[in-house]
Amino acid sequence: MVQPPSLKKSESTFLGFRRPEGPPGARNHLAIISAMDNTNPLVRRICSLRSDLTAVNTSFGRALMGVDEAQHFRIMGHLAGHPNVGAAIIIGLEPMTSGAIAEAAAQASPWMPIEIVTIHETGGTLKTTSRALELAGKLGPHLSTAQREPCGLEELTLGTECGGSDTTSGLVSNPVTGMVADRVVAAGGTVIFSETLEIVGAEHLLAARAADAKTKQKILGGVQRALTYAQELGVDLIGSNPTADNMEGGLSSIEEKSLGAIKKGGNGPIVEVVGAGERPTKSGTVFADAPCGGVENITSLSASAAQAIVFSTGIGNPIGHPISPTIKVTGNPRTATLMPENIDVDLRDVIEDGVGYPEATDRLEKELLEVLSGKLTTSELLGETEITVSRAALSL
Amino acid sequence: MARAIMMHEEDNVATVLMDVLQGDTISVEGGKGSLHIEAAEAVPFGHKISLSGIGKDHLILKYGETIGIAICTIPSGTHVHVHNLKSSRG
Repeated sequence: MVQPPSLKKSESTFLGFRRPEGPPGARNHLAIISAMDNTNPLVRRICSLRSDLTAVNTSFGRALMGVDEAQHFRIMGHLAGHPNVGAAIIIGLEPMTSGAIAEAAAQASPWMPIEIVTIHETGGTLKTTSRALELAGKLGPHLSTAQREPCGLEELTLGTECGGSDTTSGLVSNPVTGMVADRVVAAGGTVIFSETLEIVGAEHLLAARAADAKTKQKILGGVQRALTYAQELGVDLIGSNPTADNMEGGLSSIEEKSLGAIKKGGNGPIVEVVGAGERPTKSGTVFADAPCGGVENITSLSASAAQAIVFSTGIGNPIGHPISPTIKVTGNPRTATLMPENIDVDLRDVIEDGVGYPEATDRLEKELLEVLSGKLTTSELLGETEITVSRAALSL
Repeated sequence: MARAIMMHEEDNVATVLMDVLQGDTISVEGGKGSLHIEAAEAVPFGHKISLSGIGKDHLILKYGETIGIAICTIPSGTHVHVHNLKSSRG
């Protein structure tokens, strides 16, 4: 039997930044991490005063409780301690929250230089700005002289996401993303895909791909929780999905929509289910039980240590992640024409000229390797980058 | 010639890659070998066309999986959408 092109073993390599331990980085950011919403203006000011700083601002963070507090510390900590970060300065109002984020970062990357500067301890926002810039002055030059070295795909964690979906997502950009994902997994790497709500109607197929009973139960449990929560909110997901614009685009049922959406995760056995922003413990195809909003989802994928994200879009969505370079791919000719500055890989010729999946997959893989090796993405170039940490409960 | 794509060789519908008019001959890719079908009615870009006659209550297959059930008899070459397909998830 001829081996399908998607399972072709890739011998590809990329040029990354080797770390004293753990996975290599595709970037070497000096990250300025805002511990909570009230330090965002300070982080913006600090980052406006040096050209080698990457701002990571956040929503909420103050007065969080229970699951939300734990999720905030974990996700912000994992973004600070990300493989693509060479050093991090955490800017906080007070030492407790900043310390908890620094601790999560140090656990993820024990080798990383991590500094904390707080307004309460330093005294006011101007002194804090000055102190952060002093620290950046010490850390920055070291990062900018680091050299890239060859790395294998077994050292890669790739996140895959779809947003602004339409009929072309299921035909072109999701399957091609999935074929690149399969190549990464075949090479020993890890692929994380997510969006629990968008597997409803196709969860039986993912459950059948689960490597063990616990993973299967977690996939089905995640879907059940989403359906129960929607019911509590008075929303009928199966009756209201696909949406009116999905139907206008040609999608006829929730299972058709989800069958297209799950293509972005490829076809490999699912070895693990992780929660939002948790780091996988196994190589292979991993499902993250996390919400499907684009910014929330790429935040979760990045916090799960994805060095790069492939973001498949139909009608178009410009957003990327500040730490994990985000490759926008579309098969929609109209989107590719209308917003070219926001698209990294244009696969319109699959629709227009009948270009085959193997060639499209080669093109997306080539772009991925180039981006991992330093090529800037459209969202990095234009600064269309954002994060947001998902909330589990309401604020009180 | 108009084009359509089957996502799996067992599918009984294909997705048209351009607006199709009644009477158009459509070249269907992705199946076993070369397949042509005549459109019995107009089908908009991104929508599905039946590749064979599908009986009432029969399964409609895309990606090699069930995407719904035929509400009525669907003749070959017709538009398959919410008017003649219902979700199997109820």
